[in-house]
Amino acid sequence: MKHEIKKISKIVDELVTFFLKNDTDEVDIKVKKDEKNIIIKIVDYNTRFDKEDIDCITKLLCAQRQHEIEAYYWQLTGEIDSDSELMLVGAMIDEAKVQIVDKNLCIELIRYR
Amino acid sequence: MIIGNNIVERELHKEEKIKILLVFPAVFFIFGIIMELVDNGNVINIIDGINNIIFSPTILLTDFIKIGGLGAAFINSAIIGFLNLYLLKKYKMRINGLLIAAFMTVLGFSFIGKNILNILPIYLGGYLYTRYQKISVKDVLLVIMFSTALAPLVSEIMFSGIVGNNFGIVVGLVVGTLIGFIITPLSAHMIKFHDGFNLYNIGFTAGIIGTVFASVFRMLDMNISPVRIVYEQNNIAMITMLSILFLYLMIVGLWIDKNSIADYKEVLKYNGRTITDFTQLLGYGVTFFNMGLMGMLSLSYVLLVGGIVNGPVLAGIFTIVGFSAFGKHLKNCIPIVLGVVVIAVILGYDLSSTELIITVLFSTTIAPIAGTYGVGIGVLAGMLHLAVVQNIGVIHGGINLYNNGFSGGIVAGFLVPIIDAFQKGGE
Repeated sequence: MKHEIKKISKIVDELVTFFLKNDTDEVDIKVKKDEKNIIIKIVDYNTRFDKEDIDCITKLLCAQRQHEIEAYYWQLTGEIDSDSELMLVGAMIDEAKVQIVDKNLCIELIRYR
Repeated sequence: MIIGNNIVERELHKEEKIKILLVFPAVFFIFGIIMELVDNGNVINIIDGINNIIFSPTILLTDFIKIGGLGAAFINSAIIGFLNLYLLKKYKMRINGLLIAAFMTVLGFSFIGKNILNILPIYLGGYLYTRYQKISVKDVLLVIMFSTALAPLVSEIMFSGIVGNNFGIVVGLVVGTLIGFIITPLSAHMIKFHDGFNLYNIGFTAGIIGTVFASVFRMLDMNISPVRIVYEQNNIAMITMLSILFLYLMIVGLWIDKNSIADYKEVLKYNGRTITDFTQLLGYGVTFFNMGLMGMLSLSYVLLVGGIVNGPVLAGIFTIVGFSAFGKHLKNCIPIVLGVVVIAVILGYDLSSTELIITVLFSTTIAPIAGTYGVGIGVLAGMLHLAVVQNIGVIHGGINLYNNGFSGGIVAGFLVPIIDAFQKGGE
């Protein structure tokens, strides 16, 4: 797909901005690319988000992939820091796993190629 | 950051959502037939009316109710509505807030500028783009629906005689196809200019494309200028039918979520900036309720200032209804509207004129500015919008139907960085 790498970079940009702005001071990101998928793993250390916040983040990220939204708006991802675009990230990925491990918020996003 | 809610609602299947929307073109179709029977005693004249609509240049402001009659205008809108719903169903699209907005916008603009002929080359161009890029049609269908904003360019070339009568049809077809081909990458790029603070992003994109095409035509001594062909009387039956449709949306909202009225306050918490999809954030019940309420209030405003409910006004109202599923609500729209109205009153403009009414209605394209920065900035943005929108129609010669979207993009792109410059603190 066109601009695939740039789209991944912008998803990472959005998530780093979101967590540093709204939650924590330390974030790890790992991106892995293979023939079928692109996997993005994020660890948001010592999260201050409560259960309700995490449920809502999960809901936004686990929304179905929406190709038409992606085609129209993907360049908006990660563009500004005064608002978040988690809904747009959710529209650009196929699977999301969100869990708390040792007070850290761990997220795994999978985007089919 | 607002990301929470506890709304519970009835589960809706995709087919049911399409059926809810299908009511609109179905009612338009029946209404068109009835009005033609009442006015002329038969339905034969509808064909003449539709011919008049199809073979007119359709440039802004060409009111199809005026040139084709009430019956033909509603039938034209109904057919375009059926076509788009068929495409949504065929390509198994998820009926989200943006698709609802696109559907309602297309339905509304089928009263001023979009007809069953001039949209087809643009759809063809979009289809060819998907073949060229080897992607699915469903990826670009949404953009293509919106991009019919430039449909008047097709009709202008085909039927105004600017490129000669012999070549007009072919050139119109080629240009329409080219627009459909290029608009998807362009629209994705243009959104960065206003950072999603202008909801009618295609309006901004189409404004740029329209400006380029109009400039080329003018360079070749082919002049394109806006026109004013507007229906000038109110029709009680049409106003009643619209009221019933908006009431229907509110009732559907209550049927899906019986607490829609209580849950409505949740809608007002969102700033509306792209992307704010109420169907995903708050569910379909509150979304349909918000759409119905915004439609009812828009119609009431038009009647309150003594305006005429004609083609351009229908486009304005239905665009608000559509985008009330994707960012617009009372709280972020009122400051913008107030800004336009206040400056219009100060300058002594006629509030009941069709031009000012549609500016008021479409100005809500920049509702996210008020939603994000508050009432004061919202009012200021509305005032700026009126100033800009009056001057940019000339640039593209009226071939971009979403003229206010073009203006909104300029206002948002200009204003937001300035507001940011004046804000202190923050990392």
